[in-house]
Amino acid sequence: MVPGQLALTVLMGVFLVGVAVFLSRVEDWRSYRPAAGSGGYGEAVGEVRREKPGGLVRWLTTVDHKDIGLLYGTYAVVAFAVGGLMAFLIRVQLITPGGAIVDNSFYNSILTSHGITMLFLFGTPIIAAFANYFVPLLIGADDMAFPRINAIAFWLLPPGALLIWVGFFTAPLGVGIEPAQTSWTMYTPLSAEQPNPGVDLMLLGLHLTGVSATMGAINFIATIFTERDESVTWANLDIFSWTILTQSALILFAFPLLGSAIVMLLLDRNLATTFYAVGEGGGPILWQHLFWFFGHPEVYILVLPPMGLVSYILPKFAGRKLFGFKFIVYSTLAIGVLSFGVWAHHMFTTGIDPRLRASFMAVSLAIAIPSAVKTFNWITTMWNGRIRLTTPMLFCIGFVSNFILGGVTGVFLASIPVDQVLHDTYYVVGHFHYIVMGAIGFAVFAGIYYWFPVFTGRMYQRTLGKAHFWLSMVGTNITFFAMLFLGYLGMPRRYATYQFNEAIAPLDLVTLSHQAASIGAVLLLVGQVVFVWNLVNSWLEGPRVEDGDPWDLRETGQHDREFAWHERRIETAITDGGSDQSSAGDLDPAGSGDDPNAAGGDDPTAAGGDDSNATGDDPDAADDGRDQ
Amino acid sequence: MSLDTNEDHGDHGGHHLPAVDDWPRGFGEASWWPFVTAVGAAGIYVAAALFVLGRGEESIVDPVLGPAAFAGSALAFLVGVYGWLYHAFVVNFWERGTDRHSGRTLRFAMLLFLGSELATFGAGFVYYFFIRAGAWPPGNLPHLVSSLVLVNTAILVASSFTLHFAHVALRKGKRNRFLALLATTLGLGVVFIGGQALEYYEFIVNEKFTIAEGAFGSAFYGLTGLHGLHVSLGAVLLGIVLVRALRGQYSAGRHTSVSTASMYWHFVDVVWVFLVVVLYVGATV
Repeated sequence: MVPGQLALTVLMGVFLVGVAVFLSRVEDWRSYRPAAGSGGYGEAVGEVRREKPGGLVRWLTTVDHKDIGLLYGTYAVVAFAVGGLMAFLIRVQLITPGGAIVDNSFYNSILTSHGITMLFLFGTPIIAAFANYFVPLLIGADDMAFPRINAIAFWLLPPGALLIWVGFFTAPLGVGIEPAQTSWTMYTPLSAEQPNPGVDLMLLGLHLTGVSATMGAINFIATIFTERDESVTWANLDIFSWTILTQSALILFAFPLLGSAIVMLLLDRNLATTFYAVGEGGGPILWQHLFWFFGHPEVYILVLPPMGLVSYILPKFAGRKLFGFKFIVYSTLAIGVLSFGVWAHHMFTTGIDPRLRASFMAVSLAIAIPSAVKTFNWITTMWNGRIRLTTPMLFCIGFVSNFILGGVTGVFLASIPVDQVLHDTYYVVGHFHYIVMGAIGFAVFAGIYYWFPVFTGRMYQRTLGKAHFWLSMVGTNITFFAMLFLGYLGMPRRYATYQFNEAIAPLDLVTLSHQAASIGAVLLLVGQVVFVWNLVNSWLEGPRVEDGDPWDLRETGQHDREFAWHERRIETAITDGGSDQSSAGDLDPAGSGDDPNAAGGDDPTAAGGDDSNATGDDPDAADDGRDQ
Repeated sequence: MSLDTNEDHGDHGGHHLPAVDDWPRGFGEASWWPFVTAVGAAGIYVAAALFVLGRGEESIVDPVLGPAAFAGSALAFLVGVYGWLYHAFVVNFWERGTDRHSGRTLRFAMLLFLGSELATFGAGFVYYFFIRAGAWPPGNLPHLVSSLVLVNTAILVASSFTLHFAHVALRKGKRNRFLALLATTLGLGVVFIGGQALEYYEFIVNEKFTIAEGAFGSAFYGLTGLHGLHVSLGAVLLGIVLVRALRGQYSAGRHTSVSTASMYWHFVDVVWVFLVVVLYVGATV
């Protein structure tokens, strides 16, 4: 029995290694060529040692921050799809008061995993994707401070995700490992006393992703402090790097604390310790204090870099400098500091000391000030600007709009009397989804579209991009506004069914609101399908970007370091390329000439006639400007 | 790869250029070591999962699998770390030249890591303060402030001093004194770990005070265990530094890993003093 299992394990290991070796030998594994050019990829032309191996081995062995950024991004988009489908199932379930499709325990599982997946497996990694790719470019570093730690940090993430999700695969086998049903907050005593070992696996996976995030944070801080080019000072450091710096500082203290809290929970579950035991130990309140001491900074860990993305991208399409740059930096730092002093506002209804509560209310309300500073600065940046409604700009504006709604509802929740009424209702769900989907998600989309030419060397399909925006914007506001309304009706959150007595809440209205929220979720799903299709299809077949300034940023003096690098890369590729590429500037982009798909993506936007048609990869216009 | 191959790129002189002799060979921007290290580290977590699944009367997997997976993963992890650090820092120590910049970066990163350690220890101390603020004592306490703990504390504090003066000796170029003091430090560290093991033995076997022994047991074993793991890691780091020093590495101008290892050791020492004050003394007064 024992030797048999061991032999089987070893055999599987050997088999997997064999598969890996086979894959690494497959020559044409969609070999990645970022720019138009044959020959080697890399900044150093003619220096063979700087080249990368080919095929899958390239991705497994890479220590290049740009490659690792792409790996993070791919991982995060996959996690986003998984978490999004879970969310969609949740919304389908709640169409009828009795629950439409799944049983209650499966509902609890997807409720838990949706939250964990979106926050830990999508949110933090997608930010790391942008930061990995662009922070070194923006500060003029040749790579991260510790490229290998960077690679290790990424490769810890996929096993972490598998540990978190493993219950979904083993549940049908009937071996006794179910997905965790603790909700993402993992409140004790529920999480301490559920016998399901799937909870242990999820906790281990979370700890692993936390280790990864901490390694990344140390790396980012060290990079921004010590690897800046001489020309990049603290005074002219870009806004995105500022937010990454602040976020990394938050991670540095928040994630290790969560790690220890998780280990204590694991010990409680398995070694009969009493860390969170009711009565003699620290009790459920200790868990909540530790969890939210992590959890509230986590909110800012997730939202500060997206704020940085918007602060960075929005001025590019408003044709103006970011208004009040200094104050956006100060407000970022202020939020970073204050975020460690607000955690107990998640615990207003737990019966903690009222004096403690009042002080946490004060600090929580104070966070509205730096947040409003940012919001007013974004609006003022657009004021009198030459607005170009490109897809990234639409998402930036959508961000500001949704952030106002999510932020104002947050001010209400920070106030103790209001919170005591609304705390356990859908109002809270609506509030934080306006932030995590409406704001964070939107900023991420803005970043992906804005830098798509840099990531892929190609242009996305603009009509699909705009469709993605409008479906997401309308879907977000239908879904999450309906949730705010449900909160006012008294609908408790987390429930799998809601067949309650008419005396408690007007069931018809509650059902109707749930159905509205689900309709919004359908729009969101369609929008994200469009997004993923656009992403994949344009990456593989979109028109090549031959222009180092695809957004026409030079006109307004905003052609920043990362696009300057992009331009250098294109030029290097052209000089290095074959004969047909030697005069590439005069030719049509190869993609749009013979690819009907790409042309279809370009034309409707151009016909639309607004400013956005000037932002494309029209080679003649751009090259004329450059050559003369 | 030597330093000067990259100078025409106008960056920081190529201090990031990877190891001279790496795997796969000949690729400057690629290495298997991070992947191997990460697979090993993740495998340790999988092993912990298998261990949990292998516990109890009706275990889900064979109880042997957890420890077996742990052994394999730890091996992979160590191989990965060795391959990475050996090729990046050790193998061509003298050839790769001095670089004040990367030394500064490494020291700064160690400082950041120690910042994250504050949070790691913080959660455990918060638990202890939580129960200490309640009804006290929570059941029978063992005999905490014994001569063993006092001697052990003195040993660990002394080791910080020996390490500090080892570093000073290195910077003054007194190599033999550096080696002697470094070896002394490592010896004191090992004695401390032995003393902790002896204390655990006394408590668990003679006083029947185990980790499952109620609220204080959790705090005691949680905090001293976490600290013990840190001291053990510190001893490993000092051991590596000692081996490298014995093989002729380090000089008055080249001592980055001596200083990062000693930063870590001093931190662990300070945590221990705090721990003795609040956990050992604080529980009895």
